[in-house]
Amino acid sequence: MSQATQTLPRSWLTGTREAIPLLGGYVPVAISFGLIATQAGFSAWEAVLISTLLYAGASQFLFVGMVAAGAPLWLVVAMTLLINLRHVVYAPNLAPWLTPNRAWPWLMHGLTDQIFALAHARLPQLPAAQRLGWFGGAALLAWTSWIGGTALGAVAGGELIARWALMGEILPFALPALFLVLIAPRFTSRRWSLALGLTILIALALTILGLTNLAIPIAAACGALCFQIVKCGNAKKAEHAQGGRDE
Amino acid sequence: MSSALWIAVLASSLGTLLMRLLPLLWMQRRLARLDDGDGLEAMPQWLSLLGPLMIAAVFGVSLIPVNPGLLSWIATAIGMFATLAVWYRLRSLGWPVAAGVAAYGAVVMLLG
Repeated sequence: MSQATQTLPRSWLTGTREAIPLLGGYVPVAISFGLIATQAGFSAWEAVLISTLLYAGASQFLFVGMVAAGAPLWLVVAMTLLINLRHVVYAPNLAPWLTPNRAWPWLMHGLTDQIFALAHARLPQLPAAQRLGWFGGAALLAWTSWIGGTALGAVAGGELIARWALMGEILPFALPALFLVLIAPRFTSRRWSLALGLTILIALALTILGLTNLAIPIAAACGALCFQIVKCGNAKKAEHAQGGRDE
Repeated sequence: MSSALWIAVLASSLGTLLMRLLPLLWMQRRLARLDDGDGLEAMPQWLSLLGPLMIAAVFGVSLIPVNPGLLSWIATAIGMFATLAVWYRLRSLGWPVAAGVAAYGAVVMLLG
């Protein structure tokens, strides 16, 4: 039996275990989606099917909201895809660590913001033989929790939110805590710290202003600009110092 | 659900899948073409820069509490501090998250 085959079940379990913190954020939001979708006129199984096929948090809320408001369907599709456009940079960032296997393209269905953040930090640390299993386990747990949460929300969302309101407020904190753990090791230099700090602040400010869907791409673009400006500033300083010595 | 709505669901789902999938195929072809043994070198610089920055942006967005208010912002700050302190000590994934959620929950329940 090959080493890859032997390590697959264990790496699946590792991936599943490491994705558990995601549930704190996924399940309450999925319950909310199930509830909102049924309130918008979708049946429970239609809400579940949207979560299964589309599987993209913010755009699902927009989708059912626009449909309920009577927006033209072409506009609903266009806006949904526009919000999900940020996903195009995720897979190429993981590609250097993906092993040759035909399952990877199919697993990209599970490449959400959260799974990307987790995989971007963990895949480089894992042996090549464990990466497919790890990603499969993590992505599957996140996907099934999203689907399960939607079903729960569609069937009993109102009652659940009324009974466990405090848990719905506390558990979602697992997401920022997880992202903090993933991003903390990246503060390796002044340049990275400035770019990451600025990105976080802009994303936070835009979300407070109600521009949640634009916050991620705009904040990341501003962070990249900051990174390049600091680079140019450092290069000019070095050039200036070199010029001074030459004179 | 009407058939037009079904088509809208399927078009959105397929479009989203392609946005996740096609860039992977493009990058894999690029890596195979360059074939210099180091995948990171083959990645365009802007792309390798955007990865960590996207995570930072998602973190910024997720910082907003479910019910924003003074108490939840204080709880967020304390939860962040607890997460960071445990991460600094253990450098692991699960315990810092658990500590952060526990600290956040404790503040919300005790002061709420």
